[in-house]
Amino acid sequence: MSAHQHVEGHLPHEPEKATLEGRNKVLGFWIFLGAEVVLFGTLFSAFIALRHQVLDGPHPSHLFELPMVFAATMILLTSSLMSVFAVQAMHRNKMKALIGWLFVTIILGLAFLGLEIYEFNTYVSEGHKMNTSAFSSSFYTLVGFHGAHVAFGVLWISLLIAQLFKKGLTVVTAPKIYLSMIYWHFIDVVWVFIFTVVYLMGKVG
Amino acid sequence: MASNHSVSGEEAKRHKLEGPQKHIVAFVLSLALTIIAFAAVAAGEINTTFTYIILVVMALIQVFVQLAFWMHMKDRGHLFPIICILSGVFVVFAMVIMAVYWVWW
Repeated sequence: MSAHQHVEGHLPHEPEKATLEGRNKVLGFWIFLGAEVVLFGTLFSAFIALRHQVLDGPHPSHLFELPMVFAATMILLTSSLMSVFAVQAMHRNKMKALIGWLFVTIILGLAFLGLEIYEFNTYVSEGHKMNTSAFSSSFYTLVGFHGAHVAFGVLWISLLIAQLFKKGLTVVTAPKIYLSMIYWHFIDVVWVFIFTVVYLMGKVG
Repeated sequence: MASNHSVSGEEAKRHKLEGPQKHIVAFVLSLALTIIAFAAVAAGEINTTFTYIILVVMALIQVFVQLAFWMHMKDRGHLFPIICILSGVFVVFAMVIMAVYWVWW
């Protein structure tokens, strides 16, 4: 890193790691993500253990519709790519492009949430409620927790956009953007396991 | 640096700013792995065990691709994140084995 270029008003290379505070945030966030892995792991373990206990509720192979799950997967995957572009725009100090990519990320996140709400609504109308069986309880807890993470991510990124408008891109706001994007990728990684273990394996039987 | 804050080619070279190519490759790869997994299930009863193996392998490859490229784990100085995630995964394995053992054996 060449110090002479970082004069007043210029953003350093990789602004998210330019300050000790920023580096500590990144470090702390990875500890948090390790804990999140455990959180989702416990929900997955409950689901895997209980997924055949359907009682008189609908069986997963009749309940799940692959096209809808596939659409949700594509939306979240694309959204993850958009957040990659957001970080790259940040590294090039392009404020407008950064806000644009963040905005697209949020829109896709909202689309995913809308699809999930519609999906849960359909299931409830088919008699697959929270208290129907051990399968339905563990299903709603696991998938609902993931949905809550998406909702939190959307809220977080919206607030970050507001802060970008107010404070601009600085060594204070940059780590926040970087971490929210890491969080967004993490949500996508969790979804990979959800569509595999919950939906596809549920469909197979 | 230019006054408009955009990074010149020379500057980009010095700091090794990464382009979007690798990430688009990772995206296409994730897309292909997802489609293979869905197609294996949509194709119907090939063989339940075989389908399960395909699903698990596709998921593991996709997670590896996304962790390495999108969460930067392949980059230098990411030993700590790898340790964090791996310790999480260790607990998860213990959890899943324990839960399945309790309920089914």
